[in-house]
Amino acid sequence: MTHSLASPPGAAGHATVLNIQRMSTEDGPGIRTTVFFKGCTLACDWCHNPESIDARPVTVWHGERCIGCHTCGSICEHRGLSAGADGIEIDRDACQRCGACADECPALALEQLGTRWALDDLVREVAKDRPYYERSGGGVTASGGEPAVQSGFVAAFLGACRAQGLHTVLDTCGVASEDALLAMARQADLVLYDLKLVDPEVHRRHTGRGNEVALANLRALADDGAVGELWIRTPLIPGITATEENVGALARLLREQLDGRVARWELCAFNNLCQHKYERLGLPWRYPDEPLMSRGELDRLGEVARTAGLDIDLVQVTGLARRES
Amino acid sequence: MSAQPQPTEAPAIKRPSGLSPRVRWLRDYFFSGVHRPWNNEWTCWTTGTPWDVVYEEISYYIVPETYPFLSPFRASTLQSARPVELPRDFWRRSLVERRAWFIREVMVHHVPQEVLPGDLLAGGRFNILASRCWSEREARERDRLILGKKGARAAVKWFHDHGYGNAGATSGHVIAGHERALRLGWRGIHDDLEARYRALSAAEKEGESGQQLRAMMLSATMPRELAARYADVCRQLAGDEPDPARVAELERMAAQLDRVPWEPPRTFWEAVQALWLNHMLVLADENYPGAGVSFGRVDQYLLPYWQDSIAAGMDREFGKEILRCFWVHANTAYDAMIRVGGNQGITAGFGQLMSLGGLGADGQDTTNDLTLAILEVIDEMSPILEPKPNVRLHRDTPDPLLDRVVDMVASSQGAPFLLNFDERSAAGLMRQAERAGLGAQIRPDNVMDYASVGCLENTMVGNDRSGTVDCNLNLLKAVELALTGGWDLLPFTDPITGKTDRHRRDGPDTGDATRFESFESFFDAYAEQTRHIVRRCVELYERSEQARARFSPTPYLSCLIEGCADKARDVTRGGAEIDMVTIEAVTFATTVDSLLAIRDLVFDSRKCTMAELVGALRDNWEGHEKLQAWARHRSPKYGRDDDVADEMARRVMDLWADETWQHRTRATDRQFRPGMLSWNYWVGDGYVMAASADGRPRGQFLSNAICPSNGADLLGPTANANSVGKALGGKDDDGEGDLAGYRNALPNGASHTITFNPSLLRDDEHRGKFKAFLRGYADTGGTALQINVLDAAVLQEAQRHPQRYRHLLVRVTGYNAYFTAIGRELQDEIIAREIHKQL
Repeated sequence: MTHSLASPPGAAGHATVLNIQRMSTEDGPGIRTTVFFKGCTLACDWCHNPESIDARPVTVWHGERCIGCHTCGSICEHRGLSAGADGIEIDRDACQRCGACADECPALALEQLGTRWALDDLVREVAKDRPYYERSGGGVTASGGEPAVQSGFVAAFLGACRAQGLHTVLDTCGVASEDALLAMARQADLVLYDLKLVDPEVHRRHTGRGNEVALANLRALADDGAVGELWIRTPLIPGITATEENVGALARLLREQLDGRVARWELCAFNNLCQHKYERLGLPWRYPDEPLMSRGELDRLGEVARTAGLDIDLVQVTGLARRES
Repeated sequence: MSAQPQPTEAPAIKRPSGLSPRVRWLRDYFFSGVHRPWNNEWTCWTTGTPWDVVYEEISYYIVPETYPFLSPFRASTLQSARPVELPRDFWRRSLVERRAWFIREVMVHHVPQEVLPGDLLAGGRFNILASRCWSEREARERDRLILGKKGARAAVKWFHDHGYGNAGATSGHVIAGHERALRLGWRGIHDDLEARYRALSAAEKEGESGQQLRAMMLSATMPRELAARYADVCRQLAGDEPDPARVAELERMAAQLDRVPWEPPRTFWEAVQALWLNHMLVLADENYPGAGVSFGRVDQYLLPYWQDSIAAGMDREFGKEILRCFWVHANTAYDAMIRVGGNQGITAGFGQLMSLGGLGADGQDTTNDLTLAILEVIDEMSPILEPKPNVRLHRDTPDPLLDRVVDMVASSQGAPFLLNFDERSAAGLMRQAERAGLGAQIRPDNVMDYASVGCLENTMVGNDRSGTVDCNLNLLKAVELALTGGWDLLPFTDPITGKTDRHRRDGPDTGDATRFESFESFFDAYAEQTRHIVRRCVELYERSEQARARFSPTPYLSCLIEGCADKARDVTRGGAEIDMVTIEAVTFATTVDSLLAIRDLVFDSRKCTMAELVGALRDNWEGHEKLQAWARHRSPKYGRDDDVADEMARRVMDLWADETWQHRTRATDRQFRPGMLSWNYWVGDGYVMAASADGRPRGQFLSNAICPSNGADLLGPTANANSVGKALGGKDDDGEGDLAGYRNALPNGASHTITFNPSLLRDDEHRGKFKAFLRGYADTGGTALQINVLDAAVLQEAQRHPQRYRHLLVRVTGYNAYFTAIGRELQDEIIAREIHKQL
């Protein structure tokens, strides 16, 4: 269930957080702590954090951790759990997302994804690595999901981090109300902005929404004097975003509309790492047989991006490539 | 999935590079192991008396694997020993003088002297097992202390069998005063001894002081005599040598050996030659093949020679060639047991450690051209084990050094060295100064002259013996005794004889734990048991310390440790100015996590009663899987930067460290001090110690040194490091603490290992992040860090045992993921590639 752009910003006091990742080295400069906020305005086919799309908490079962004690079955008051042939089965209709089973699971086989955090506690938590941020030029990244789903909290969170002297990054897909996005982005020293596709129809087909809002918001951000540095990130999905046509068009768009405003463009290679997450959530994964891209393909797309007239140092291709003999 | 697991190429294992034919030959020759015609295997030498002993077993009391072999070693080494003709008055001399004479005689006149082809340094065989030189009466008295049901040997076996750990007065593990020996030459050392001897009264000359100084004077001439023999060898080789270039080298070596180490060296080559002989004779004097016999800050005390020689025209590359030869020599220490096992006697790094870089006494960084040259040599020679380098970092380590360090980490499956952190380390030594009353010896203006011994054990240099591996205590034993009121959880059954010891109360009666109404009551019992096990360890140590002090002097080493000449007392009798015994605590995190689990299971979450918990532990958790899972996965753990859990770590730390400071040895008046090393005990003792409340069954590893329990550090390296820093005492915001705001409960330091994936070092940007991590570690972490960069084999291990590798980060597009949390197929995919190059 994706979230309406008009949905009211989350109460500023608490937020639902999927995960807090310390020593994150891939979400902006330096050593960072990335807070993944739950809830998204898109539902991309290739989403790597499908558990983050729904803003509500969700219970998942890790088979490899389960010791088969069936504590969960006796805990659940909603008949949401049963022992099936392949282990614990969660009836998604019956499950009330209360997390009582996960609270009592001795082996952490049942996990409640989505934890309520109070603002002060979260700020205190992310400040723990301050010496590492200071030494590396790192800081705190708000990611998702789409942070805008809880924009009020996220803006307050980034503002509070900043007030403590921490470098702040907002990682957004841009599909949100302009107000919500600007409120957050103005508290960020750097915005990581997802730009997936130029064609609005293809965008709609694969993400659930068109890209008009994202493109308009990108310009709004770029023009806003209070918004800091801007990096663009594009997931390379074979046959969808990872075409020479799309990458070339994105490059032209960046050159024509945002020349000089973007400090970096990261092309992130497709991988299959999230497959197990779909299994745990009982959702279909559309790319089960998709191989990793070859180094040649990745290099070619990087070349397309660069030859479209962008500063060569701007473009970075990251991620796993297929091993070829 | 695309990927049928593809054939994996061998991971890019570090290979040596840039070596001259000379050094390549020497290095290959070393690694040809048992196939070499020349080696440095132990040779045994006896006075020829039927009661003679050549194998000093006390040094091996800290190696439980050797316990069954102590009697056969003693018999077989004596059997193979060759007799040495003794002077007429030999048995009228004091023991220390007999021993000094015997070692000198063996090294100069019996052990063959050889120089390998192309080698630029003389000093080959030094691994000897020489007669202890005991008279019949001395041998009998000494055996009374060691053998039999009430002897030290049985006591140390009991201590190990019952899960307490081990203790023994061990050789090595000291930094000799090399700087002074080079500055004065042995002539200067000898003159000093002679002056002191002359100043003695006639009665003192007759007594122990006179005996000791005469022995040391004799030992002080050993390097001169040995160098003369090697000078002869070089001249002889030069005579038979067709290559004029090699003839020139050999003649130069001979001329140098005519001077050094008796006279102070004038050149870099002479200094390294002198250093090598001075060092190898420590190993000969102790009959101990190198473990922990450390060099100190070579890049500081060799620097003047390096600079002078470079200024006088020495090619920098030739200076490095001398160092490369030094590296080959240091590795021959392993030859002692070259026929043991399949790996030419290399069972563990011996740790002839050298400290590199770091802050100087004036607070300025001391990195210099020689520091970098030595790192280059290590990089070119690697993989090679000795000498083991320890690079000292601090908050303001200059970028060129840090860049070099990170480059070497990136290319070597982890660091080919240990990293030491100056601020935290020095804070511990300042605390030692205060707790041990050593304010005159360790001061803010000299504490940065410290260096590390063996692995990371911090000591002062040239006047300090801190017995850094002598006592190894399993803190977890106190939890076991507190649960039972002083009993072993299960009676001990000897795995070899099948005999079960009578079950009895060995610890104090701290009450019936099942009746405790609060965790604090339990903690009080734990605290009393902790004080008890520390005392037991101290008492056990006293037995071998006393025997060594009476019967196993090392007069040559005593010449190189300041304080010994001054007090006319052997280093084995407490001669060193700074004279400590370190208790290295093992099982720290397992202990902390067990206490946290007991509080959680019995008092907070109330998952079971104390009686049920004790029953589960007696059952080795079998039949109690649900409780075990909760203890393992749900109870709090040290290592996650969780202030509540880390506060328990701090309580455990302060408790055992405080008790340790309460003790001194009786025979030698050495002060005990705390540290955390663990060597490999955390593996082996995992099979000895009963199941623990943290969910660990018997047979699973204990925690290593100050590291969080395996797999407990779920939040990654920064959280792990922060927890370690807090356990040591953290920092004072007001800049007080032991030193510049840093607190450190462990003057010895603490071993800490963190594992990284090579992807975190894949490009300059990420190497920059890694450098920043190391600088951040200097702020928040511990005293020393060992870095692992994993290869595919380790990742496969992580697949098989995911619970042990839950902290392992891998990088994937746009984010890091925990390797064990991703799907099996992608794990395979990642493994199936040559991760160093392609991630």
